[in-house]
Amino acid sequence: MASTDLRAEFLALSAALTGFSVFRLEGTGQTDAYLTTIGDIVGEATVDALVSVHRGLVDATGGDEAELQRGLRRELLSDAKLGPVARNLVKLWYVGTWYELPAAWRDTFGPSLRDRTFVVSPEAYTEGLLWPAVGANPAGAKPFGYGMWAKPPRIDTV
Amino acid sequence: MTEERNDRFEVSPEAASSIAYDVAVVGSGVSGALIAKELSGRGLRVLVIEAGPSHDLTVAEYETSLRRFYGAASKDNNAPYAANANAPMPRSTDTTKLRPGEPNADGYLVQLGPLELDSTYTRVLGGTSRHWEGKALRMLPDDFALRSRFGRAADWPLGYDDLEPYYRRAEFELGVAGEVEEQDFAGLRFAPDYVYPMHGMPRSHLDRVIADDLDGLEVARDGETFALSVRGTPQARNGVPNAAYDGGRGYRPVGAVSLHQAELGERCQGNTNCTPICPVQAKYDARRTLFQALGTGRVDLLTQAVASEVHVDPASGRVTAIDYQAYADPASAEHVTGTVRADVFVLAGNAVENARLMLASGLTGSSGLVGRNLMDHAYLLTWALMPEPVGALRGPLCTSGIEDLRTGAFRRQHAAFRFGIHNDGWGWATGSPYGDLEELVDRRNTFGPALRRALVQQISRQVLMAGMIEVLPDESNRVTVDPRYRDRLGNPRPVVSFGVPPYTLEAAAFARRLSRRLYQRLGAEDHTAYHPAEPGWVSYQGEGYVLRGGNHWAGTHVMGTSPRASVVDADQRSWDHPNLFLAGAGSMASIGTSNTTLTLAALCLRSADTIAKDLETAAAPVTATAGGAGA
Amino acid sequence: MSLHPITDVAGLHRHLEAAIQLEHATIPPYLTALYSIRPGTNSAALQVLRAVAVEEMLHLTLSANILNAVGGSPDLTVPGFVPAFPAYLPDGETDFEVGLRRFSTEAIDTFLKIERPAPADGESIRTVERPPRPTMLGAGKVADDSEEHFYSIGEFYRAIEDGLIRLEAEHGPELFAGDPRRQITPEFYYSGGGEIIPVTDLTSARAAIRLIAEQGEGDGGAIFDYEDEIAHYYRFQQLVLGRYYQAGDVAGSPSGLPVDVDWGAVYPIKTNARVSDYPEGSELRRAAEAFNRDYAGFLALLTGAFQGEPARLNDAMGDMFRLKDLAGQLMRQPLDAAGMEHAAPTFEV
Ligand SMILES: Cc1cc2nc3c(=O)[nH]c(=O)nc-3n(C[C@H](O)[C@H](O)[C@H](O)COP(=O)(O)OP(=O)(O)OC[C@H]3O[C@@H](n4cnc5c(N)ncnc54)[C@H](O)[C@@H]3O)c2cc1C
Ligand code: SF4
Repeated sequence: MASTDLRAEFLALSAALTGFSVFRLEGTGQTDAYLTTIGDIVGEATVDALVSVHRGLVDATGGDEAELQRGLRRELLSDAKLGPVARNLVKLWYVGTWYELPAAWRDTFGPSLRDRTFVVSPEAYTEGLLWPAVGANPAGAKPFGYGMWAKPPRIDTV
Repeated sequence: MTEERNDRFEVSPEAASSIAYDVAVVGSGVSGALIAKELSGRGLRVLVIEAGPSHDLTVAEYETSLRRFYGAASKDNNAPYAANANAPMPRSTDTTKLRPGEPNADGYLVQLGPLELDSTYTRVLGGTSRHWEGKALRMLPDDFALRSRFGRAADWPLGYDDLEPYYRRAEFELGVAGEVEEQDFAGLRFAPDYVYPMHGMPRSHLDRVIADDLDGLEVARDGETFALSVRGTPQARNGVPNAAYDGGRGYRPVGAVSLHQAELGERCQGNTNCTPICPVQAKYDARRTLFQALGTGRVDLLTQAVASEVHVDPASGRVTAIDYQAYADPASAEHVTGTVRADVFVLAGNAVENARLMLASGLTGSSGLVGRNLMDHAYLLTWALMPEPVGALRGPLCTSGIEDLRTGAFRRQHAAFRFGIHNDGWGWATGSPYGDLEELVDRRNTFGPALRRALVQQISRQVLMAGMIEVLPDESNRVTVDPRYRDRLGNPRPVVSFGVPPYTLEAAAFARRLSRRLYQRLGAEDHTAYHPAEPGWVSYQGEGYVLRGGNHWAGTHVMGTSPRASVVDADQRSWDHPNLFLAGAGSMASIGTSNTTLTLAALCLRSADTIAKDLETAAAPVTATAGGAGA
Repeated sequence: MSLHPITDVAGLHRHLEAAIQLEHATIPPYLTALYSIRPGTNSAALQVLRAVAVEEMLHLTLSANILNAVGGSPDLTVPGFVPAFPAYLPDGETDFEVGLRRFSTEAIDTFLKIERPAPADGESIRTVERPPRPTMLGAGKVADDSEEHFYSIGEFYRAIEDGLIRLEAEHGPELFAGDPRRQITPEFYYSGGGEIIPVTDLTSARAAIRLIAEQGEGDGGAIFDYEDEIAHYYRFQQLVLGRYYQAGDVAGSPSGLPVDVDWGAVYPIKTNARVSDYPEGSELRRAAEAFNRDYAGFLALLTGAFQGEPARLNDAMGDMFRLKDLAGQLMRQPLDAAGMEHAAPTFEV
């Protein structure tokens, strides 16, 4: 397990980026796997930078959601280095797949051997949050039971 | 890794070569397994030769396949099954856009075109049924008489009514869930009081929403008017047993295959993954039948053995032996060659592999038709967003379809087709939901709660209607072999030429126009788009379409009434080689608008009766063959 | 012979209500152990626990069918129906506690005690009477100050069977005057774990009891039942002994394929967790409460299904799938910074 602080901050950042609560993220059981994956590929320093930008924004915006979102766009998502990594983090939580970073990123910040498109683990796939987000089940796992498809979907409103 | 044999029913290559079998069957798919079960049930000694490993007779092994699928970045049809260079299989991901005159030999199939086919099959225990979807449609009475009714193709040497009792038996063996009352279209006839073994799969929410607006829509074609309706699709997955089945005796669904106790394989739970692998074994696959066959104690299974040559006695034409290459390790080309002897031989390797093996053995048939008349369904996919979330990506892949245009006078002019309504969203057409996620995150710059909301709008509203279009037999569509293209064991690979005529394209154009009208009526946003750069792109009367493979390889050893115009007779017996049966969809004289498996199962049950009669065995007593209602 | 044989219909109802409660009481412990296994590991254990849990559901449904057949009315929503864990079950020669704990040798030990076989003679019904305990399931209550305990679940069902035979001799077929539309039939219930038997007379009632008893502990110590299905007791034992049983084996010496168990591949969930263990106002606490609410909803659906709307059973099954997912989410929540202990569903209903 990563240092407690880093882990908690990683979860907080992930929650802001994915729109899922820390509880729901932890509920996938993938926190440590994703923290390790991303650290292995882009380096610990970049992970630190990601979480500290978020921490700074949280401190500065004092609970104002809209301001926090704005800050994330300005300082994280549009950052040449951090933006693509943040977007990859979102996709990781949603489908359990690490996507190879854009060529421009690799050229500028240095390629990593592990940076190719892959599914982190079988569980990372089945625990993907895309499916619960749309009231579905990942194909081949977590079924709803016989005939449940005959009912309208249950989709949590956010 | 060297694979261990299960000595309860698996034989070593040495043992297999030393035993004189009544029947040797190549292939453990639906075709081979059904024939093995039927014949062993009647006391005959059977050898099943399977090119793939004996994996997946335990739940734990099955789960390995499932986890391979979970962990695969590409979740194509063959993603759950380990690549095996000794018994290679086609993957849809190998299909690329062809340039004129340049074959694509990247995958196992060598594709010559002109149409690129992304159809696949699987060479593992249980064959392609491992990743089939399970639609179990009967062919229509008209489909057996295309020449006499519509002046097209050739009539079958048998009619619907000849095959009907075997359809019933096939529905029992495969465990089909459906409602007879819903199948009252296009002259489809059932035996009086017949019901399917299980009640139909509940219709999806999407089906109902669509039916609300589409039912009753009238379509005029060639002087006839067709009133469309959304109907449940009969399918081979476990549902609610019908108490009225078999004269009120009911039906007991068959569960998971396992060498030790496993209470799995119950009702379909809606895993939405029938293709490529059902995690709970609710969907029928041929391992079930094979397992029952092995249970007779009269079936030997020789796995990791690739049939490589059929030997024929030139004088009598009879098959004397089949050679096979047995390998101990799928990771190595090392193998020994053995020979099996039997009174009767059955090739059940599927339409492509049967033809490939015959041609590799130099057996082109006196008609010259072995490998020719290759058929498959052409799929025209159309996709749209419904006005409201309808809960895409839930339930079996399809629970309903539109069947009303499967026959009519228009078949003189153009092909028939059906629409399958897909519960699994746009995945087949666009790579959704992954592509949607990438679009929203990487290009539309959405994140946080807004991303969740956007995903709901983009994914849960998806509907895909797949038009499955008939392709008639055509001698220039074919499987051949070419010594330049071989697999790792040295066996020639299948070389495929395939194209579709205007007869099919006219139906594609019509289906596309109709789909536009359907979406207009539903108030759905039509997102269908076809690009010239895609494999399967065809242009017809100024408009472009993309046709996808239907995975229903058929016709390479068509049946008929004469040795000059067909490869096998109505019993699937080779005209040239009286003790050789070519079993499976390759025998189909045409394929109508039904997925092929139920029909090939019916044909194989019929052939089993013939083979048993041939061998007139006085051996073991006749044990019940578990006939269904009135079978 | 039981100390308190069933001599009237009220007694029969009481015993059958107890049977339903008892069958249910095993489900939270089995599910807790089952869901605590890390996904992708322990395939064999997963199959065993899953099969047993599924069969307990079948047994519960069969008991409800019998109760409905003799004019009773199953109700899984009465206060106290779900025991507070750890609980004592009314079987076993000596008391033992059944708790909600992770998949472990301790858990399997308890499960073996729950499912332990009845004696082979098929005749005797051994019971002991003990003063009641506060956390005891109300099932065995025979008097205010005393409870009857059966040595095994098999003996408990034998007592019910005795009662059915006795009362049927007395009342004739009238004993089975319950509304047949309340029966759960194969149309409404089908699982890999055996077929549901609608109960309309003594013969079908006895068939249902036989199925329960043999699936449970293998009546008379038989490993495989008349349908070649392995009894729960032996299913569990395979995990400890490391091999599958196959036909012809003697108890204690399975000779089938090896069974691999990884006792470490388990979420370290808190034993007998309670909602009050979770910080007030936390999402964890809200989720644990939501689980319990949904679980109560599941029992209400089952009750509805058993009280004349059998079609609701399918919805209840759908609930089970959702509850499983929720349980998984709870079990992945670390309770301390080091992740030494995790949360778990509490089944406080
Ligand atoms: C994605 C997909 C979806 C489908 N969905 C449906 C559907 O919904 N409904 C429907 O009706 N059909 C469907 N099909 C088609 C269906 O799967 C096939 O019709 C059916 O499985 C064919 O059975 P078979 O036994 O004839 O051949 P196969 O299942 O292909 O079996 C052939 C067997 O022979 C073995 N073999 C081959 N060559 C050799 C050799 N030389 N030596 C030894 N063994 C050999 C193979 O390993 C294999 O096990 C689908 C197919 C695919 C790919
Ligand atoms: S929907 Fe799911 S459970 Fe049902 S058959 Fe398909 S994969 Fe299996």
